[in-house]
Amino acid sequence: MKLKLPSGVASAQDLTTLLVEIKDYYRWYAHEAIKKQVDAKHTSQPPITSKAAMELLKDWKAMQQISQQSLETLMNTLQDYVQTAPSITITLAASPTSGIKNSLVAWCRENIADNILVAFQFNATLLGGMVVQHASHVYDWSFRRQLLAARQNFPEVLRRV
Amino acid sequence: MDLFLQIFLMINVFLIGAFTATALRHGWAHLHPHPDEKLKHLAVPAVKLPNEVREHLLEKAQTNFQTVLDHSNAELERDLKDTVSRLNGKLEKMGAEIVADEMKRYRMDLDALRRQTEANISGAQTEISKHQTDLKSRIDTKQAELEAKMNEEIAAEKQVLVAQLDTKLADAVASFLTETLQHNVDLGAQTSFLLSTLEEHKEELKKGIANET
Repeated sequence: MKLKLPSGVASAQDLTTLLVEIKDYYRWYAHEAIKKQVDAKHTSQPPITSKAAMELLKDWKAMQQISQQSLETLMNTLQDYVQTAPSITITLAASPTSGIKNSLVAWCRENIADNILVAFQFNATLLGGMVVQHASHVYDWSFRRQLLAARQNFPEVLRRV
Repeated sequence: MDLFLQIFLMINVFLIGAFTATALRHGWAHLHPHPDEKLKHLAVPAVKLPNEVREHLLEKAQTNFQTVLDHSNAELERDLKDTVSRLNGKLEKMGAEIVADEMKRYRMDLDALRRQTEANISGAQTEISKHQTDLKSRIDTKQAELEAKMNEEIAAEKQVLVAQLDTKLADAVASFLTETLQHNVDLGAQTSFLLSTLEEHKEELKKGIANET
């Protein structure tokens, strides 16, 4: 079953956190189901607090009825995502804001793979640009790299000045 | 020397010797007559001549004999002088010819030697010129090679120094920019650049991820 991850869930760590929250929700849902079967009058609030988890459950509910079985399916799906989804790491020159993160993740899921996981790191020595790492590949598109790559041109530029 | 001339001279010497011996003999016999001869002369006359006539004849004979003897002596002396003169002339002529021949041969030998020497000197000069030309050519070639090699080495050294200078300068500028700019990063301003960079390398990323999965 095709599942669209919320934009706030970018990295594998986010997905693992989401999975933990869904598991908590699943346990809560199971307890509530038992209470409902025995007509227990005491009910509790769902444990989910994160916006991404609520958004995911809302989308899931739109696709199929929430039940213990469907929640198990959702957990299995998320587990498959953790294990099989492609992931990349983007290193920026500063710690990215959520807006920048969302923009980059949205672009990656639109243009590369819809289930891709994106982790973010920062390194101030990059000056700007980014370094994208996927498995053993490193794509260095940082300003620092460009400066160092073009340093042979500095004397030529200085001579022209 | 000519053989005929030698024979002629020998004959002349022989005749001169014979005439001289005969003259000396007659002179000696006249001045110192043999006692027998004196007696014979005295004995020969069969006719009795008066003493005055005999003395007169004897004196006349002596005078005639003396005249003949003087005449012979004079002729002999004249011939001797003439012979000596001719001999001197011949000898001078022969000497002159010998000297001329020797001088001519000497000049010819000298000319030959001079020509040979000149040829040798010319050959030596040619060899020296050739050797000098060869040496000059070698020196020029070697000098050109050395100059070319030195220019190449200088150019290479210059290139290395320029490259080192450029590298140092580039490192300095890069380090300066890195140190200066890393404290003033604004990712918000870079968002569009980041997205355009991703867009630019989209196919590359997709291909890499597809290969990994």
